[in-house]
Amino acid sequence: MPRIGVYVCHCGLNIAGVVDVEKVTEYAEKLQDVIVAKHYVYMCSETGQRMVKEDIKAHNLDRIVIATCSPRMHEETFRRTVAEAGLNPYLLEIVNLREHVSWVHSEEPEKATEKAKDLVKMGVARVKLLQPLEKRRVSVEKNVLVVGGGIAGIQASLDLADAGFRVYLVEKAPSIGGRMAQLDKTFPTLDCSACILTPKMVDAARHPNIILLTNSEVTNVSGFVGNYEVSIVKKPRYVDEEKCVGCELCTQVCPVKVPDKFNEGLSQTHAISIYSPYAVPKIAIINPNHCLRLKYDKDVCGKCLEACEAKAINFEQQPEEFRLKVGAIILAVGAEIFDASKMPELRYKQCKNVVSNIEFERILNASGPTKGEIINPQNGAVPKTLVFVQCVGSRDKRFHEHCCRVGCMTTLKQAILVRERLGENVKIYVCFNDMRAFGKGYDEFYRRARELDIDFVAGLPSDIRSAPEGSLYFDVYDKGTNKLLEIKPDLIVLASGMVPNTDLEKLSALFHVSRSNDGFLLEAHPKLRPLESLTAGIFIAGSCQGPKDIPDTVAQASGAAAKVIDLLAKDVIELEPLTAVIDKNLCSGCQICEPICPFLAIETKTEIVEGTEKAKAKVIEAMCQGCGLCVSACPTKAIKMQHYTDEQFLAQVKACCSERR
Amino acid sequence: MKLAVFWGCRILTSQYAYEMSVREVFKKLNVELVDLSEANCCGDPIKSVKDSAANYLANRVLAIANATGLDGLLVPCNRCHFTISEAKDVMSKDKNLNKKIESLLKEEGLAYNSHIKIWHVIDFLHNFVGLDSIKKTAQKPLNGLRLATHVGCQIIRYSDLGRVDDAENPRKLDELVEALGAKTVDYAEKLDCCGAALMYGHPNSALSLAGAKIKALQNLGVDGLVISCPDCGLMFDFRQKDAAATVGAKTSLPVIYYTQLLGLALNIEMEKLGLHLNQSPVEQLLMKIST
Amino acid sequence: MGLTDLMSMAKPNMDARENFLSKLSSREFVNCFQCLKCTSGCTALKLLELKPHEIVKLVNLGFVDELASSDIIWTCVTCLKCVQRCPQKASPYHIIMVLRNMAVEKEAQIPEEYLKTVSRILETGLAEAPQEVTTRKMEVFDRKSLNLPKITFPRESFQVAFMKIMEEK
Repeated sequence: MPRIGVYVCHCGLNIAGVVDVEKVTEYAEKLQDVIVAKHYVYMCSETGQRMVKEDIKAHNLDRIVIATCSPRMHEETFRRTVAEAGLNPYLLEIVNLREHVSWVHSEEPEKATEKAKDLVKMGVARVKLLQPLEKRRVSVEKNVLVVGGGIAGIQASLDLADAGFRVYLVEKAPSIGGRMAQLDKTFPTLDCSACILTPKMVDAARHPNIILLTNSEVTNVSGFVGNYEVSIVKKPRYVDEEKCVGCELCTQVCPVKVPDKFNEGLSQTHAISIYSPYAVPKIAIINPNHCLRLKYDKDVCGKCLEACEAKAINFEQQPEEFRLKVGAIILAVGAEIFDASKMPELRYKQCKNVVSNIEFERILNASGPTKGEIINPQNGAVPKTLVFVQCVGSRDKRFHEHCCRVGCMTTLKQAILVRERLGENVKIYVCFNDMRAFGKGYDEFYRRARELDIDFVAGLPSDIRSAPEGSLYFDVYDKGTNKLLEIKPDLIVLASGMVPNTDLEKLSALFHVSRSNDGFLLEAHPKLRPLESLTAGIFIAGSCQGPKDIPDTVAQASGAAAKVIDLLAKDVIELEPLTAVIDKNLCSGCQICEPICPFLAIETKTEIVEGTEKAKAKVIEAMCQGCGLCVSACPTKAIKMQHYTDEQFLAQVKACCSERR
Repeated sequence: MKLAVFWGCRILTSQYAYEMSVREVFKKLNVELVDLSEANCCGDPIKSVKDSAANYLANRVLAIANATGLDGLLVPCNRCHFTISEAKDVMSKDKNLNKKIESLLKEEGLAYNSHIKIWHVIDFLHNFVGLDSIKKTAQKPLNGLRLATHVGCQIIRYSDLGRVDDAENPRKLDELVEALGAKTVDYAEKLDCCGAALMYGHPNSALSLAGAKIKALQNLGVDGLVISCPDCGLMFDFRQKDAAATVGAKTSLPVIYYTQLLGLALNIEMEKLGLHLNQSPVEQLLMKIST
Repeated sequence: MGLTDLMSMAKPNMDARENFLSKLSSREFVNCFQCLKCTSGCTALKLLELKPHEIVKLVNLGFVDELASSDIIWTCVTCLKCVQRCPQKASPYHIIMVLRNMAVEKEAQIPEEYLKTVSRILETGLAEAPQEVTTRKMEVFDRKSLNLPKITFPRESFQVAFMKIMEEK
């Protein structure tokens, strides 16, 4: 006969404010095999836990039901508690009286109490059938995969490499550096972005523990925490990385002009080029979509081939695939900038003098399309009136509800730079709705902008118009003056927000990580586990988790690196024993389960049974994630999910449907 | 092809040219238009007085259309098109109102039908007839004309309701004009309202909105303005002189319904297209077509 | 009456706000964060000083009676730009329409033409009376001389049904 203890938690007033915990306890006490039933204000507190441990010993309890908050919150806590009292930690059942009862039925306390009783009854029914299980112990790979070579990926890689781990840093673009490399200055200190970033880029490339894989993408991920296996494809550069010295002689002779991606298409580069002035690695790359020889004919052009003294050009280069074993993965793939042409009323892409903030960043930059001269793209004139329009694509239910978190500060920075470089002769307006300057030194920076006679208009324009000759004008109503201002700017900069990467959907499927409603990657807990994904061993850093400025990105990257170090510092890690097991006698060898398993954890092996060869499915325990798909697919019911067996569920259903005493 | 047609009030009571040209052009395109058995206001002006009554009127249109047994209803007026579309949407969301209106209609011996597809002239010609077949049918290309279009507000807004064309970059009317060989111009005031809805309470302001737009177009030097809404016709064509006067301008801008323009390209006689009824100097435009 | 005068001694009335809310199909307008896009682009702003953002805020604060009595709500051109471009889907146009209905209910002064229209619809089913059109050549035409079909009036039951729904509380 099992000896069960039931504990009902008040969770302060979170549960007890709705559910009558005393009645639930009284009810539980009368259930068959329940030896002890108690309620307490905070079961997760030291006192609450001690109560359980003492009862286990005093009453010789062998199964515990705790009716409290979601198991996602405290199941681990209470498993440790019962284990400390000498019980197998899997002989514990959590009943969720908070998320499933009190929070959702706060209007109907009596019915909530009845539901709580039912749930406790079901918990007691299940706990009787639980089996003791042992955690699996597996060794860990000491290598780490970092996906994305922006400032987040670079920072995380450097931290990990310095701690002695081998890091594979994979970057899709031909160079690391990411968005930060495109920026001119950084707020609120106005340090030169390149000056603080390029040393880190170089460090990452030179670090003996970092293996840089640029122009590469992850194509497959399998395995589990501590033991991931990933495939990476390195796309051809058509330039030998060992031989190229980055002299750019090839670029100078290439006859094909191509929009320069690094300059946001505001200038042109060539079909063979070096990605940016600070590219790391500084190796040329041929764009196969534009190169005449790669696009049309093996015998045309070839000018770069003649110009290259290092004989580095190789049109025969093929994609290379690498397979790596890593213990942990950090996703740091960054974000994209909202495409303002989705709002035709703002005339972006229709009028050259309406630019996005990232494009303006390139215009401000000495290595940009205008060599840092602030001129409008249409006719190259120095603007006399410049307007910044805030919240483009952000805080807008039609596009993205989230605040882009950097638009206000980016605009302040760009406005200050314009004032500093063009002096008093330029009129600068910022049309805004809430100026958000929340970081360290940010509001002081906002003040600095006001001191520089930048005009802040509290209101956003509905549309921007262009006269037949191309000049821009718009109306905007100002909250402060209660006046409609008619502004005729030479240049308009749109504060286009940060939005999720378009390939984030693909990525989330590849790495089995979830996304939140806003489309960014979902953290395991918004407050307490912000650096982890919900998949063990996969961490997230930077703006792929949500829009971030540089300080926050770097902080999160270092944090994620520390989390990885914490994980991989051990030689062996413990895994939940919640895996599928197959009853060989029942397995018919039909192989339905094998392709269904998303983790490739089932293999079919032939066995000799009574003299004849028979196919039998086998679970590779280390790879099984316990998702249960195979269990429901098996036609002979040969597969059982440990800790979640049919019998256990049915006992709950039966208890639920039986009359209440 | 058979379509029921609901003209609304403005077309039936003054914008005869639009009605005549729609009838002629659709005949030529082998679309038979079936008039509804009774006149009925779409409910638009009543929205300001009593919303439920406006919804009743609008949904009554669909009930009368249902009696024709046809599954498509042509609504050539922008305002009627919006009012009926929105009322249909409200009917699907507000169960109480739905019950009330259905029972009132029943008392009248009418049955509501939410499955009737509502067409405007623009999307019917653009999406259903198609630019290619319009290009092919047009016997008299209008090459050399430089025209501005005014789609009007209520067939493009608001997008959540599902409208005839894109709210911020409507191109269908332009493409229909271009299909006839004419050129269209983009202009800053393209999406500005004609002001018609203000005629009830603030006629001078209404006229000055129309006036500002006509003045801008006159300055742009276009050969004419192409419209597809009887309210816009009233403001830009019938009341052009008054409208121009409110902004201190004298204008002579030919304003023509798209169906009139299409009729010309299809070689339909001018009288049949009601071109003698336009109050703006359309002869300027007609001369350019005949030469 | 002008809104400024009405607002000078006004106090918020939350019951009136509740009444207003019961007539509006969506509560999205409470999300308005005063970005002013609606007012910056309002067709009736320059001529008639209509400021949709102000109306949204006043309704939310409980100044519904004042708005319903004011003449400002009758300046909307119904161009729907504010609905289209509102980043919070607050739909000032729909708010203004409910306020107009409330103005009629409380028998505030409203542009006469609206009430005339109600009678015209009741009598003929149509909001407008058929007109003769004089051409540029001074010839006069009507539907008949243009060979356009005769307008058929609604069936008899229409008047009863229309009165019923107009008079319903």
